[in-house]
Amino acid sequence: MKLPLWRRRQDEELDEELAGHLRMAIADRIARGESPDEAARAARLEFGNLGLARESTREAWGWIGIEQFAQDIRYAWRTLRRTPGFTLVAVITLALGIGANTAMFSVINAVLLRPLPFPAPDALVTVANVDLRPGPARSISMSLSYPDFFDFRSKSHTFDHLSAYRDSSFTLVTSAGSVHVVGAVVSSEIFSTLGTTPAIGRGFRPEDERAGSDVAVISDSLWRSQFAAAPDIAGRTITLDSRPYTIVGVMPPGFQFPIKFPLAQIWVTLAADARVEKADDVPMTTQRGAHFLKAIGRLRASTTLASAQADVDVIQAALGREFPNDNAQRGVRITPHLDALVGDARGSLLVLLAAVGCVLLIACVNLANLLLARGAGRGAEIAMRKALGASPRRIVRQLLTESVLLAAIGTACGLALAYGSIAALVRWSPVEVRGLDQVALDSTVLAFTAAIAIVSALTFGLAPALRAVRADAAPGAQAATRATAGRAERRLRGLLVVAETAIGVVLLVGAGLLLRSFDRLVRTPAGFDPDRIVTATFLLPDTRYSYAKQIAFYDSLVADLRAIPGVEAAAATVPLPLSGSNYTISFEQEGGAGGANRESADFALAGAGFFRAMHIPLVRGRDLTPADDDRAPRVVVVNEAFARRYFPGIDPIGKRLKLGVSTTEPETPWREIVGVVGDVRNRSFREPVRPAYFIPYAQGLISPLRLVVRARNTTVVGEEIRKLVAGRDPDVAVYDVKTMEEFLATSVATPRFQAVLLALFALVGLMLTAVGLYGVLAYGVAQRTREFGIRLALGATPGGVRRLVMRGGLALVVAGLAAGVVAAAFATELLAGTLYGVDRLDPVTFAGVAVMLLLVAMLASYLPARRATRVDPIRALRCE
Amino acid sequence: MARLRRHDSRIDLLQGTLDLLILQTLQWGPQHGYGISQAIRLHSSEVLQVDTGSLYPAMHRLERQGLIRAEWKVSENNQRVRVYQLTAAGRKQLVAARSRWTQLSDAIAGVLNRTGESET
Repeated sequence: MKLPLWRRRQDEELDEELAGHLRMAIADRIARGESPDEAARAARLEFGNLGLARESTREAWGWIGIEQFAQDIRYAWRTLRRTPGFTLVAVITLALGIGANTAMFSVINAVLLRPLPFPAPDALVTVANVDLRPGPARSISMSLSYPDFFDFRSKSHTFDHLSAYRDSSFTLVTSAGSVHVVGAVVSSEIFSTLGTTPAIGRGFRPEDERAGSDVAVISDSLWRSQFAAAPDIAGRTITLDSRPYTIVGVMPPGFQFPIKFPLAQIWVTLAADARVEKADDVPMTTQRGAHFLKAIGRLRASTTLASAQADVDVIQAALGREFPNDNAQRGVRITPHLDALVGDARGSLLVLLAAVGCVLLIACVNLANLLLARGAGRGAEIAMRKALGASPRRIVRQLLTESVLLAAIGTACGLALAYGSIAALVRWSPVEVRGLDQVALDSTVLAFTAAIAIVSALTFGLAPALRAVRADAAPGAQAATRATAGRAERRLRGLLVVAETAIGVVLLVGAGLLLRSFDRLVRTPAGFDPDRIVTATFLLPDTRYSYAKQIAFYDSLVADLRAIPGVEAAAATVPLPLSGSNYTISFEQEGGAGGANRESADFALAGAGFFRAMHIPLVRGRDLTPADDDRAPRVVVVNEAFARRYFPGIDPIGKRLKLGVSTTEPETPWREIVGVVGDVRNRSFREPVRPAYFIPYAQGLISPLRLVVRARNTTVVGEEIRKLVAGRDPDVAVYDVKTMEEFLATSVATPRFQAVLLALFALVGLMLTAVGLYGVLAYGVAQRTREFGIRLALGATPGGVRRLVMRGGLALVVAGLAAGVVAAAFATELLAGTLYGVDRLDPVTFAGVAVMLLLVAMLASYLPARRATRVDPIRALRCE
Repeated sequence: MARLRRHDSRIDLLQGTLDLLILQTLQWGPQHGYGISQAIRLHSSEVLQVDTGSLYPAMHRLERQGLIRAEWKVSENNQRVRVYQLTAAGRKQLVAARSRWTQLSDAIAGVLNRTGESET
């Protein structure tokens, strides 16, 4: 071993000092009359263990620690290399456990822990309306109306800034053509609220909110892609939806708001919604019933969430008194903006984190077991080291160093595994979750990994190390050839197998429940046939297209689409079921409740032929036809859920409804129910079908509509739509061309993600448990070679010996299974909110897990059992 | 640890006692390790025998703490020996440790004597 020069001198001096001591002791004894031989022997005896004296003195020097550590590491490395099989299994086990945890934590870090990308992000809160009427809707956040927002903004006193926004999109026409750009309509103080200022030019001013003030701020990436990063961009005029806008600023690179995908590239003010085209137009900014705005506020310094809540509660109460029609049943709720963004993802991520935690726990239990088995085989080595003067502390440290080294290698492999799997994890995960685009192995994740690595090393290393030194040195040295594990030791290892089986059962049950629930989810009928449907949309600028012209555009386009060979059906609608976009509009029933007690239902526009195109069955009455146009009597079609809920036992055909808001008519007219159609999942497969009603788009357009085309060959439909639209107006860009299947996949992406991941983790857990069981049994068989030899020599049949071993293994697994089933019965409580159509104590899942586990356990114990029967009695007995 | 040897029954001395014995021995003058162990043995009438595995770590620790100082000297029979002596800090430490020890042994004696009275 190479030592620094000064250290070597100090070592030599210590040796000289101790040798001098011994020399003087011998000299003294000789002087007292003992013979030189006798004196030397007696002095040595009196002196005691020279090695121990040297070692413990060196320890007193203090800095010895680091050097011993290096020595321990070298020694541990040699030991691990000597048993490559053990090392490989241990490293793979750890790499799986630590890799899965690192990958999962990096997602949690990006989504839940990393602060929002704004200065002082903790002060940002979401202000939303809630429905105060009893029912499940209470927990859903609702949008604010424009006048209500203005009241909150002017009357609240707990915010530095309060601003509103809504998602939007625009057609930007440049010399290169027209592009569809995602954007947002915002109130003027949005950038001050977020604490960000444009990199070029200015942000919005209060006067920019007035109708006719058409100014825009663009993103850095739009500035680069569409304007070649022109430095003189501020003040330039662009055409958005056929209307001239003046660019006043460019946001810095990386600025994101609203935080959702796709990211907004352009921001315009509420002036866009204050516009008055005709004399009798009622702009949205003045309608108390137009609930379209989300609001974000920055709390004043040292303002608590509670005081802000109290502040807005007072304002909301006043609104309820002053405008009971629109506000009597509404409350207001303040939530941290991050929480509002993360929403339900928090729960599923934490469940997954708990699952990978279980995997790591199984990995640790496994390793502890392996190390225990190994420790028992190393009794002779430990005894030798003790005899040579190693203190118990030193031996424990040495053994722990091995664990730490294993953990270090396992962690390195785990990090590589995590690095590789993060990309897959992100690609697979539902995209709507905030922060998923920024999952990375950053310093927080690395710190977490280091922490779990150290904790793991201690978890799996400490017990075997302590056990190794407690075993007495002398018997160990004698039993060097025949390592015998005590009864207590074997019981401990058995207990560890029981524990990891139990944890594995919890994981498997969780995964099984989620998979079954996912299966139920995708088997839920959507209410329409998504097969071979392509959808697309485009914006018709309202400067050039009046409502009448837009309706004519859609009508003729749908007619042309139907004429294309291979197209079976075409229609237009908005919003598309399961597209993530939903409208809820209140309505009044003739003779029913009005005002604030109006009911709300899902709402959609549908053109003639929509139900046929989607294969939504007509249950009663008639379908919408081209004759239901703007001049015809107002009609409405409801779904079966609507009929059941609002017309129980009554034929709804001929009954009349009145919508709560209107986009094209100053006074909302009564509409006659002409048909009842089948129920359709509008929002998601999870949520029960809600009452819904449809009106012809010719009788109240909300643009843009979405085209729905069912065709034999879906791949060319997008191009056909583009051609037809471009032929009518080259400035209009078709976007969001997607098949219905893609929308469906997106709508079940979150449960699928969760189920697949948990299944993956459970599979890893099951594998590790099987390896652990195999290890314990194989080791037990190796230890009992002699016993089996005697049994066989005395006439035991191989079958009998095999049963003996397998019975031992299965007993452990059955005990673990029982414990695991009890634990799972409690743990599945975590999944209660996630499951769909499956009870959390689903007997099929529990039974399936039990069968699967027993099969794996039988396989894992069969191999060692077979080895036990192959013991040669003669050789086994000769071992002694 | 220095051990009390009587009828082969070994009792570990109280923590820190060995340090006190070393410091006390060095008060009589500089001494090497073997000399210290012999002095402790002699002055305890052969009751206390210091284990070298405890003596040297203790002395090196005291040296690191600056309570004693060591230097190599040549003995009368021309051999290099490492000789230890008290530092000023060591002297102060010795006074403090002695008074603590006296307090402790008085306290223990008090308890033991009282028990003895009640038994008789």
